[in-house]
Order: sequence, then structure tokens, then C-alpha cells
Amino acid sequence: MPLSTTFRLAWHVAVRNWVVYRKDFIANISPTLADPALILASLGMGLSPFIGRIGGHSYAQFLAPGLVATTALFTAFFECSYGFYIRMTFESVFKAMLTTSIGVVDIVVGEFIWLGIRAGLMATGVALVLLVIGLVPNPLGAFFFPVIGALLALPCGAIGLLSSAWVRNINQFQSVYSFLIAPIFYLSGVFFPLSNNSWLGVAVQFSPFYHGVRLLQMSSWGEWNGTELVFHLVALIAFTLALGWLALGQIRKKLIL
Amino acid sequence: MISGDVTRSIAQSHLHCGREPSRCPGGVATPSASQARERSTGVAAFTFHLSLITNHLPLLPTQFCLSAMTTAGTKIIEARGVKKSFGDVVALHGCDLEVLEGECIGLLGPNGAGKSTFIGCLYGVVDRTGGELLVFGLDPANDARAIKGRIGVVPQENALDEALTVLENMQLYARFVGLARRTAAQRIDELLTHMALEHKRDAPIRSLSGGMKRRLAFVRALLVDPELLILDEPTTGLDPTVRHLIWERVLGYRDEGKTVLVTTHYMHEAELLCNRIVILDNGRVISMGSPRELIDEHAPGFVGYFPLETEQRLRAHLSSNWTTFEQGRQFCIRTPNFEDLTELQKATGINAVQLRPASLEDVYLKLTGHRLDENE
Repeated sequence: MPLSTTFRLAWHVAVRNWVVYRKDFIANISPTLADPALILASLGMGLSPFIGRIGGHSYAQFLAPGLVATTALFTAFFECSYGFYIRMTFESVFKAMLTTSIGVVDIVVGEFIWLGIRAGLMATGVALVLLVIGLVPNPLGAFFFPVIGALLALPCGAIGLLSSAWVRNINQFQSVYSFLIAPIFYLSGVFFPLSNNSWLGVAVQFSPFYHGVRLLQMSSWGEWNGTELVFHLVALIAFTLALGWLALGQIRKKLIL
Repeated sequence: MISGDVTRSIAQSHLHCGREPSRCPGGVATPSASQARERSTGVAAFTFHLSLITNHLPLLPTQFCLSAMTTAGTKIIEARGVKKSFGDVVALHGCDLEVLEGECIGLLGPNGAGKSTFIGCLYGVVDRTGGELLVFGLDPANDARAIKGRIGVVPQENALDEALTVLENMQLYARFVGLARRTAAQRIDELLTHMALEHKRDAPIRSLSGGMKRRLAFVRALLVDPELLILDEPTTGLDPTVRHLIWERVLGYRDEGKTVLVTTHYMHEAELLCNRIVILDNGRVISMGSPRELIDEHAPGFVGYFPLETEQRLRAHLSSNWTTFEQGRQFCIRTPNFEDLTELQKATGINAVQLRPASLEDVYLKLTGHRLDENE
């Protein structure tokens, strides 16, 4: 099976999602852009005066890169849980695709391509807002936001796909959100700095989200550290491959009887 | 009643053609001896709709050519002992089936008999757990992509993209099947017109009626110009007009030499479209043959429907080689000859509700209709 065929077909799957997405563009981009803006306004602006500087940055500046990561996380999770699940079960989108030359691999790769593009665009949107407000101390670092956002979204999307394969009905995503996504969101160093020596500091190493957050913080603050950079990049790619591979197997079980 | 009349007329003409092809000139409805007799008996229920016969008759000679061809054609599907189990539940116990190029095969059987599972095995959306299966000489377990590029599927649920319009749906599928933009536009136009949907090009899917969605699913399946067309219950839940349109189209593809595999619960549909019928029950092929062969083998003759309350009076006149059964609160008698029934009416003074040649439905009910509880 030539790889080029997979990418060509996967691209069509991604295009399908785009065609549907743009129909309800405003509704679709609202939560991913409005939520970080709210967090920034309430926590960032609201708390900044009461909190001292963290690593030389105001609290709002500290919070800013984490919000790019948050956008990518939520885009990824909701797209690959509710979104994917609805496409798979209620809309039978894949059932129809599978009657054509498209196979399960093409569908999953296509979903990842779509997710990467979407998360990248979202990260760009948030980055622009942050730049305008002046919350990115190292403005050049904002150029990397879309790439890191996309890279961060992929393993988080894989978690969404895995939960799509595991839930028995659409309500169970609420548990996945409460017990997995929300803790990842609140505890991965977006809201407070993590010490490597704390148990939480060790635990978050196993969450792809944390590595994305660190990469975004490094580029936003201009605090590049070669070893750490490579470590987080490799971790993100490894999580993407491992979780993506797992997700592919589980989704295959759902689509092929 | 229209559909019942068609069944009767088709079965009747088919019957005579089957026995004496020379008496069946294409396009001309020759009233047969028995038809003439039927009219002279004056049984109101047996009014023949000649227009309906002539609508379908031209297709019949082709049917013979195709069944003759099946002895020499290329094998499109070869299934030997195809098995599928879901955990402990066995869906297919080992299906054997060969489909030759240009055949129209009808897959019949109760809900849960394994029809859709078998179809799924053909294009790789169901992983079979045993047996050998080749489609176009390729194994779907390894070459699903190549197989799927040559088939068109109308799945049981239309699986149209509800978020998109008719045209957007088809453009998307044209991409999936690899049609160039300009070819796609032309082909979509042709097929929408062919399926009488051209006025709905820009309508959202959710605004379409059930029949329109079904026709659109056909358009989608035909975009690739398939060599094998797989139709999973193509007319379930559709009104007679749409059903006839779809039959007309399927007969058209058959005439073009396309191979068609259709599952259905409408026996009349199977009898009309298919040159060979496969009856599945409980994951096994329990019978196979042309509609005529199956009828001759399992339920030959003619059936009279009588009011249930006349059963006792009729029973006094029954012959030993007649079969009786109850259906739809009517007492039914199947006899080898049509005269048996007309004479029974004369002798008893009881007018039948309906008299008709035995059909595939009788075969189906005889072979599978006895265990409703097990399949439900």
C-alpha cells in the first residue's frame, strides 16, 4: 500500500471535515477562542496585581503560552471525542467512506491531518490576540505557536480517538473529560510553575500536554534550552506515534467488524 | 394492490417464458392459454394489468441470455466456506457462493441471517474469521482498496453526509473515488438526472425525502462506474413509485452487463431483478437457484387465498397432493394446476379472495418462515 495513496485519501478525509466545519464557522471557532480569552481576562488580568512575578514575568505573561496549549488541547479532545464519535456513529460518515478506496488508516491519518491544521490555525488566532495585548515577551517565539500547537494537538487528539473507541455512549465522554482532560488541563503547569522535584512534576512528564506547554512557554518567554527543547519535542513525537498507533488499532475495531 | 398485480403478472409471464421461450417475443405480451382461462372464469381478483406486463416483458428475454451466460462468465465473487463469528455468536457458518460476470444475484433471508455480514466481507468492512473469499480474484482481507475501487455500494442506511448539500456530497465522493473535477461534474450531472434528482442539486440532505436519499445513495455508488454493484435492501421503506424507478435502473445496469448483488426482503423484487437467488438462513446458504427453479423445487403450482371461515367447507374437497397453510388470516391452498383451484371454486361455490401462481414468497416462507422467534 503506497504511502502516497494513504496521504492522498487522508487529505480527502481532512477536506471533508473542513467543508463541514466552514458551514458553521463562527459557532465552531467560538469556544476554542472565547475560552482562553475568558481565562486570560479573569485569571490573568484579575490575579496579576495580587501575584508577584514568576520567573521574571507577570502572571498574565506566565499564563499566556499555556492558553495556546489549552486551545490546542480542547480543540483536539472535542474534535476527536464528540466530533469523531458523532461522525462515526450518528452520521455514518465513515461507513460511506469505507465503501470507497478509503480505509481505516486513511480515515485516522485524515483526522490527524485535519486536527493538526485546525489546531495550528487556532493557535495562530490565540497567538495574534496575545501579541496584540503584549503578553508575549519574546514576540518572535509566537511564530512557533502554530507548529507547537499542532504538534501538541496530535497526541491529545489520539486520546480523544481512544476514548471514542472505548465509550459505550456519548455521555461517557463527560467522565473522560472530568477524570482525564480536566486534570491534565489544570495540573500541567499552565496555571502555576511545576518543580521537577515534586510528585506532580514527575507525573506530568507522562502527559503529552505538559511537554507542549513547556515548549510554548520556552518560545513565548524566549528561554531556550537546547536539551530541554529536544526532550520535549521528542516526547511529543513519541506520544503522538504511540497513542496514534493505539488509537488506530482501537478505531479499526470499531469500524471493521 | 398494484404491487400484488405486478407480482402476479410478472410471475405468470415469467413462468411461460421459462417453459417456452419461443412463445415470449420481446416486447409483446402474448396472452397465454391460462391467462385466457383465468379471464373466462370471471374471477374479479384475477384482472390482468396488461400495461404492467408490457412494461416489464421486454426485459425477460435478456434474463434468459444472462442465465445462459452464467455457465461461461468470469468469476466476480468466489466464496468458499466463508465464516464469521462475533465472539460466541456465529453470523456466517460457512457460505459458498460463486457470482459470475453479468449476473444479478439476490441474497434473501430473515433479519439476522447474515446477508449484510456476507456483503461486508466482500469489501473488507467485516473481517471474516474463516474460509476463502475472492472478489475480482482478489482477497478482501489483503486487497480491499483495489476491490473497493471497482465496486459501488448502496448500504442499508444511506450514510449520506447530512451536513452537506446533494451536490457537495457527490463532489466529496467523486474526490474519494479519484474522479478528476471536470469528469466528476459531468458524471454527477448525468447521474442526478438519471435518478431524477437534478432539481435537488443544492438541497441540504436533511430536506430530502427517504426516497430521494435512497436515489442519491445510488448516484454515489455509481460515481465510480462500478463493475460490481452491491445493494443492501435498496428499496426498503420506499413508496411504489420510487421502488419501480429503482428497479428500472437496476435492470438497466444488468442489461449493461454489470454484476449486481442485492439483498432484499421483497420477494417480488428478487423475482423481478435476479437471475439467481440465494437464500440464507442462520448464516448458512439453504437454497440456491433461479427464481423459477426454486419455485418449481419448493413450491410449484398455484395458490388460492380463501376466507378463513370457509376452511372447513374447503377441506372436504382437498386432494392429497395439495398443500394448505394459513397466511394473513386467510386459508391458502397450493395446487399443481390452476384448474384445480377454479374447479374447487365451482364445486364449493366459494370465491377465492385471490388466485395466483406460486411465487418466490411461497418458497421463502416455506424455507425460512417457520421460526420467527429464533431470528428476532
